[in-house]
Amino acid sequence: MKITVNGAEHELASPPLTSLLNALRDELNVTGPKVGCQGGNCGTCTVLVDGEPRRSCLLPLAMVDGAEVTTIEGLGTPKRMHPMQAAFHFYYGSQCGFCAPGMITASVALLERNPNPTRKQIQNALGGHICRCTGYVKIIDAVEAVARGESFDGAELTRSRGGEATPKGASA
Amino acid sequence: MKAIGARLPRYEGAGHVTGQTLFVDDIRLPQGNLWAKALRSPHHSARITSFDASKAASLPGVHAIITHADVPRNVFGHLAFLGVPADEPLLAVDEVRYLGQPIAAVAADSEEAAQAAVDAIEVEYEEREPLFDMRKAFDPDAPKAHHWGNWLPYFGGELENAGPDRRRIRKGDLEWAFEKADTIVKGVYRPAAIEHAPLETQVALAVPEPSGRMVVYSCTQAMHFSAGHVAAHLGVPLNGVKLVSSAVGGGFGGKVDSSSDTIAAVLALKTERPVKWRWTREEEFLCSGTRAAWHIEVADAVTKDGWILGRKTLTLHDAGAYLRHSSYATTKHTFHCAGAYTIPNVSFLAFAVFTNRVPSTAMRGFGVTSTSFLAEMQVNRIAKVLDLDPYEVRLKNANRIGDTMPNTVVLKDPSTVPVVQAIAEHAGIELAPEYKAMTWEPRTGAVLPEWLVEQQAKGGQD
Ligand code: FES
Ligand code: FES
Repeated sequence: MKITVNGAEHELASPPLTSLLNALRDELNVTGPKVGCQGGNCGTCTVLVDGEPRRSCLLPLAMVDGAEVTTIEGLGTPKRMHPMQAAFHFYYGSQCGFCAPGMITASVALLERNPNPTRKQIQNALGGHICRCTGYVKIIDAVEAVARGESFDGAELTRSRGGEATPKGASA
Repeated sequence: MKAIGARLPRYEGAGHVTGQTLFVDDIRLPQGNLWAKALRSPHHSARITSFDASKAASLPGVHAIITHADVPRNVFGHLAFLGVPADEPLLAVDEVRYLGQPIAAVAADSEEAAQAAVDAIEVEYEEREPLFDMRKAFDPDAPKAHHWGNWLPYFGGELENAGPDRRRIRKGDLEWAFEKADTIVKGVYRPAAIEHAPLETQVALAVPEPSGRMVVYSCTQAMHFSAGHVAAHLGVPLNGVKLVSSAVGGGFGGKVDSSSDTIAAVLALKTERPVKWRWTREEEFLCSGTRAAWHIEVADAVTKDGWILGRKTLTLHDAGAYLRHSSYATTKHTFHCAGAYTIPNVSFLAFAVFTNRVPSTAMRGFGVTSTSFLAEMQVNRIAKVLDLDPYEVRLKNANRIGDTMPNTVVLKDPSTVPVVQAIAEHAGIELAPEYKAMTWEPRTGAVLPEWLVEQQAKGGQD
């Protein structure tokens, strides 16, 4: 079984019925996608498989042979965030951080399909994603901000204390 | 002061949104780890009549199966450090008191191997009638939920010289209040149990060090508390354990029970290998502590112009099968039964009741949310019965600087008045001028009838 994860190709040793989630986490040590329910109910294991958001806990490896997988780690890093990551950070869309890996990957996929979603469409796209801390308002605000074309200064976002981060290039 | 009013990036935010934050389950050790699974009670209440793990132990990949006999100190109490006697076994001995109570635990090469071993343990039970309804706990023929009886037999003090079996707060002269009242307004409130359901289930990684010290990577919300708890069950002093705090994937109170740290540590002690225990979503829902259910009865003595002269309450707190923090929650609840209002004459009574439900634990406000609910519902009810404006009833009876709470605390900066005024403003409610002008300064004759001045100034007792 071969998959490409965040640009790197891997030959997997896990048996074909292993879930993609377990293979990513336990064989490849890619721990961004989280184990929330292992039953397709919470969304925190969501990754992009050939660009489509999929619940990796429900996907046997046999079904993703040869696929291109992008996890939260593949989108960006603290200093080079993907705009969706920056927006989640700026709009406080991630309190404990456990749902963010799924929320963000699913939101990225949504804007790929539909660059100008309505609030309702965002809600629908994130419908199966559970967040127990932040609530959904700030998360949806963040997705809307990216759709609006707001961008954020990465350096300001990662600074841990003092100063105010301001959205730049907002084109409301 | 730069932070006040400023928009500051979240300290851990960059890690959260890039998948780089390490939760306990994300920690990888070079030597790897064994996986734990627990055998849990399938019954709400039962005697364990036989237990045989020999078949399970011979399955491939199994490193250890532990029972109560393997735990250096099996029975411990969450509030033992406050002198509250211990009542809860880490692993059940000869009976189970709630569905999901752990009886044995397995450490194996994989989660699947551990689960297979759990499934192969042979146990026989003799089921007993469970007790679910707190109100039935006091019936003479009610099922017995706890070896101390169906409600906590003491509050404070040692068990040997048992103190009162109830938490009681009294202040002023309740009889006077009920005689003087124009109306009695009653209410019964029954807030239900709630599961916290954090997105990250309970998880722990215990790593034995060659020195003998046990390191536990923990998702606990209460580091030192959990350290004490692990040390107690391992039977070692505090410096025999080291807890490493990781990110907490949601807790809301449900991660103060150290539910996974302790058993993972005992398995690590036995196997001399790192052991990870990650609860399934189903375990999280069925077996982790919940917010307690409550049964609260209230009677308020009120005047026709909306002064609350007195309040009498009776509360039953559902502790579930073991005490955990319930004496604390019940006490805190009882202290706060007046809500954010100054009620001069009160008698509050509460019991911590044992049932065969999962033990209840902390959750956001721990015992006090139920009092806010009862206090605010009562104000609404009083306003409705007397046909008064509920905002004005609130402001009239609001806590003021210098007022004495039923638990004898003298208030220095009670915020009831400004908060109620702000709520009215946001809700577009126009308050009468005297209520709009009200402050948190001590009451004066202007709003407070003369005959109540002395009443309001009374201290607490009991
Ligand atoms: S872990 Fe896959 S949906 Fe919850
Ligand atoms: S931030 Fe904790 S679950 Fe969403």
